[in-house]
Amino acid sequence: MFFGASEFDITKAQAHNDATKRLSQVVIRVHDLHKYFQVPIRQRGRFSALRSLLVRRHRLVKAVNGVSFQIGRGELVGYLGPNGAGKSTTIKMLTGLLVPTHGEISVNGRIPWKQREEHVKSLGAVFGFRSTLWWDLPVIESLELLRYIYDVPLARFKDNLREFRKILEMDAFINTPVRSLSLGQRVRADVCAALLHDPSLLFLDEPTIGLDVVAKERIRQFILHANRQRGTTVLLTTHDLSDVEKMCQRVMIIDRGKLLYDGQLESLRQRFGGKRELVVELVDEEDQISIEGAIVTSRQGAQVMFQFDRDQISASELIQRISSNYRIRDLSVREPDLEATIRRIYEQRLLEDAV
Amino acid sequence: MKALRLYLWLVLIQVRSQMQYRVGFLLETLSVALGSIISFVTLALVLQKFEGIAGWSLGEVAFLFALVELSFGLMDMIFSGFDPDYFAAHTRQGTLDQYLLRPVSLTLQIFGSQFILRRLGRIFQGTLILVYAVQLVNIEWTVGKILYLPLVIAGMVLFFGGLFMLGATITFWTVERIEAVNILTYGGTELMSYPMTIYQDWMRRFFTYIVPAIFLNYYPSLYFLDRPDPFNMPFVVRFIAPVVGLGVFLAAYVFWRFGVRYYQSTGS
Repeated sequence: MFFGASEFDITKAQAHNDATKRLSQVVIRVHDLHKYFQVPIRQRGRFSALRSLLVRRHRLVKAVNGVSFQIGRGELVGYLGPNGAGKSTTIKMLTGLLVPTHGEISVNGRIPWKQREEHVKSLGAVFGFRSTLWWDLPVIESLELLRYIYDVPLARFKDNLREFRKILEMDAFINTPVRSLSLGQRVRADVCAALLHDPSLLFLDEPTIGLDVVAKERIRQFILHANRQRGTTVLLTTHDLSDVEKMCQRVMIIDRGKLLYDGQLESLRQRFGGKRELVVELVDEEDQISIEGAIVTSRQGAQVMFQFDRDQISASELIQRISSNYRIRDLSVREPDLEATIRRIYEQRLLEDAV
Repeated sequence: MKALRLYLWLVLIQVRSQMQYRVGFLLETLSVALGSIISFVTLALVLQKFEGIAGWSLGEVAFLFALVELSFGLMDMIFSGFDPDYFAAHTRQGTLDQYLLRPVSLTLQIFGSQFILRRLGRIFQGTLILVYAVQLVNIEWTVGKILYLPLVIAGMVLFFGGLFMLGATITFWTVERIEAVNILTYGGTELMSYPMTIYQDWMRRFFTYIVPAIFLNYYPSLYFLDRPDPFNMPFVVRFIAPVVGLGVFLAAYVFWRFGVRYYQSTGS
């Protein structure tokens, strides 16, 4: 889960620039969104079933409690949060499945639940554990039926299918009924189905949950492809931080119905990342090593690991100090892993004042 | 046009997947048919012993019985998706979402979500008894009667379909299906299989003014069988079956739309 400077690839930075350029065109506008649920309280003791039938007592759960954000055309945004934080509820309101208790949503200029049929025509959605395909139909027949439902022109359908089949490697199971697919194959088929009608928006709720590493990677590649090549705006919820690291420039973090963070992944890391690490391989094995501004956390032969605080000393300054005292063969800077960063945010609620 | 084609497509998918296990399908259909034929034979034996019920001959009661069986069987096949026993699973597991994500009417998709072909057994059995009844009674067929018969069947399909829809909609609030609605539907078929004169007044009134079941099978049958009306209602009520059926269905449909909106504002 390390994220070294060398791994920061150029395409990602490029995509980031494109995204900022397109940001002028806001496609999703959410203002002060609330969703409350009445959850019945189960009564205990004698005649509990009868009592709960007669006197229904409820508890108000504020699943989403005052969330506001905007997403621009072509952005790829990760929506993070622990279980029950309000991620899925937000997605359901954005896709028009749920009506908010309070607040405003506008997607492509439409109010999702008021113009449901119009609205869902322009979006694709994948809900990780649940397939939207027909259980008994071979994948290809499900896709053909969807073509009819979404009025996709035949030529467009064929082009898209050819492209998606290749990227998602669907040839092996395209004629298999959905019920006989493995989870990985099923999610691939679902993702393919979600994009066949060229939606301008793609909502993914836990798209990689339960998948193995290879399948995850394939799905991620495909989502990135859709985002970059087709300019599809993507909002995805996930538990899996490597999803976020590999795909998103922007993250939103929600917990207990409130948005804790909304911004670039990088600045999240910088602001709340805590300690960074510098691994240095020296030419000679030294007996004593001490450098001002950093502490040595481990040593293995000629390899030394320093820990330092980004607020107190920059990496280049630290390297300078080391190299003036010792001969360096090789070095690398390690960022703190994202999981630890986010855990700190949840636990210490670091961002509550910040947003 | 598109909606109709899509509906047929969805039904075809259902039919095809049910036909995959052909032997199982045939056996099930046959056992359903046999089951209700046996219940009819029992009834017939009793009727022969007592030479009819309340002045109705065996053939006349068979006519009432067959018309309900045939219509209910048809409805049970067409409205399979709204069968509360089956629909409750949607609200329990939240599987309605996948339908709401498609740019097509939810009602159409529920109609297309289930089409239980083995109900043909009941339809077949109903038709068989109807033919038998017509033989026994010697109905004087007129053009009016021939034209009205399918309308009566359609009326009952809509009526029972409306009850199914009502039962399905209630699960938005209760999650579990409600037995009371099943009593109406399945009890209704039993009740409508016999001449209304055998019931007590309060019951008949209930099924006249609250649940207008009396107009769907009993009064049309008076017309087909050329029998007098023991309750002295206007003659025209023999012909309102399709209107009553449609009315019940439309009322249920309005309630269903209301339920869907409720579901969207509360569902989790």
